[in-house]
Amino acid sequence: MDAAQRSPFRVVQDSLPPEPVAIFCGHCGRSPESEQDTTASRVCAKCGLGLLLQTPVPTAPSASDPFLVVDGSLTICALSRQAEKLLGTTETDAVNRHIAEFLVPGDAEDSATETLAALLTWAARGESPSKSVVVRPTNTFGVRYWARVGPCGPPTAALLVLADAR
Amino acid sequence: MCVRGSRTATKCSDSWTVRYLKTSEAATLLNVSPNTLRAWERRFGYPKPQRSPGKHRLYTHGEIVALRESLQEGLSISSAVSRAREGLSADADTLVGALASFDRERADGALEAALALRSLERSVEEVLLPSLEELHEKHGPESAPWAFAARWSSDWLKRAQRLAPAPVREVSLLIGDASQGELDPDAAAIRALELLCARGGARLLCLSVRGVAGLADALGRLQPDAVVLAGGYARDDEVARWAYAVRSTAGPLPVTLYRREVLRPLRSRTTGARLLPPSPTHAQLQLMELVESDKLVSARERSVVTSPTPLVPRQGSAGA
Repeated sequence: MDAAQRSPFRVVQDSLPPEPVAIFCGHCGRSPESEQDTTASRVCAKCGLGLLLQTPVPTAPSASDPFLVVDGSLTICALSRQAEKLLGTTETDAVNRHIAEFLVPGDAEDSATETLAALLTWAARGESPSKSVVVRPTNTFGVRYWARVGPCGPPTAALLVLADAR
Repeated sequence: MCVRGSRTATKCSDSWTVRYLKTSEAATLLNVSPNTLRAWERRFGYPKPQRSPGKHRLYTHGEIVALRESLQEGLSISSAVSRAREGLSADADTLVGALASFDRERADGALEAALALRSLERSVEEVLLPSLEELHEKHGPESAPWAFAARWSSDWLKRAQRLAPAPVREVSLLIGDASQGELDPDAAAIRALELLCARGGARLLCLSVRGVAGLADALGRLQPDAVVLAGGYARDDEVARWAYAVRSTAGPLPVTLYRREVLRPLRSRTTGARLLPPSPTHAQLQLMELVESDKLVSARERSVVTSPTPLVPRQGSAGA
């Protein structure tokens, strides 16, 4: 085929609109005031103890939701105030520890191939849309939580929001 | 030690300059409020400020910059603090590695790097002494790495002391060195205490407790305000002989014990010797407080003896 006849490659616009994101504090879970300049300071102006993070709206926590932020190696990087109460620890103690020390998959019989670890790893790479999973506190039986898992950042990490107890 | 500048406090010695920031300046650099900075100190213990003579917080510029960089790449304040702390502890690891591999230049460099982030006092306390302790535990007192580390640290501390500013306080201290010598693990801590006292503005004389002859001349020249018995190697009778010689020449002086175990605490209580904490920074502070309070008491006693009885009764006591 002649080069002149060949149709040139073109950049095709993504047909899907960009997913709306929500901004929240990694400690108190609240959204910043509209006037807070997040480019100047990432520190939450409300509590002063967390950094402002972004996440797709379906994963975004509310102020009353306990949540954790873990990196690609499943090490805890942030723990919300509500999660501190729920898991009986403090953020300073939990940071740099593996998530399995606090939470494990809740459905042992679940036939789904996507385990909690895989979901978190994908989310930490920013590749996974928001998904739900069941977890339970480590060494605690009879308590299970629905959790939403999705990407957050910057830098890219996985957000695990613990919702209603089941 | 000097403090200059109104916007940026800079404390300097002859060779090392550590930049200090006031709370408002540190907060501006981190883009947070001063209250947030104080809240971080309470919750995370970092950044850890020093105090100015007026008890105001003084943050090390290096610590604040390290935290700012960690915050830019962090997911939480805790993880940023953890990362900034790791950066600071890297200096101690580098120093241990350099000393264990007999690399004098790299050891000098490791301590210079520590000084870029901390004051000299904190560099000694947080980097030099823990590194020596680690080497001593790991290799033992009769090893070549320990011999090298002990010699290097002794040289470094002496060099730092030579560069300390001239005494500015009317405080003279006599240190009775009861350590075994350079290879004694207490020796570095004693040199560190000497250095910090010198930097605190005191006049110092450090003598071995084995040398009693000619002590009167030394005491006549120094006129000490307090005596420190430092190190745990020399026998009690040697130390007691030296302390007796000091007392019989200079009279009763406050006596403190530094890095010396009290085998007979009852006896130490009766002689009034006070135990100093093992940290050289805390020991230096307690020592200065002790000397200054002792001087204050002496001055009061002198004023009571010398002041004449008022001929006219004071207004407040007239009706009494």
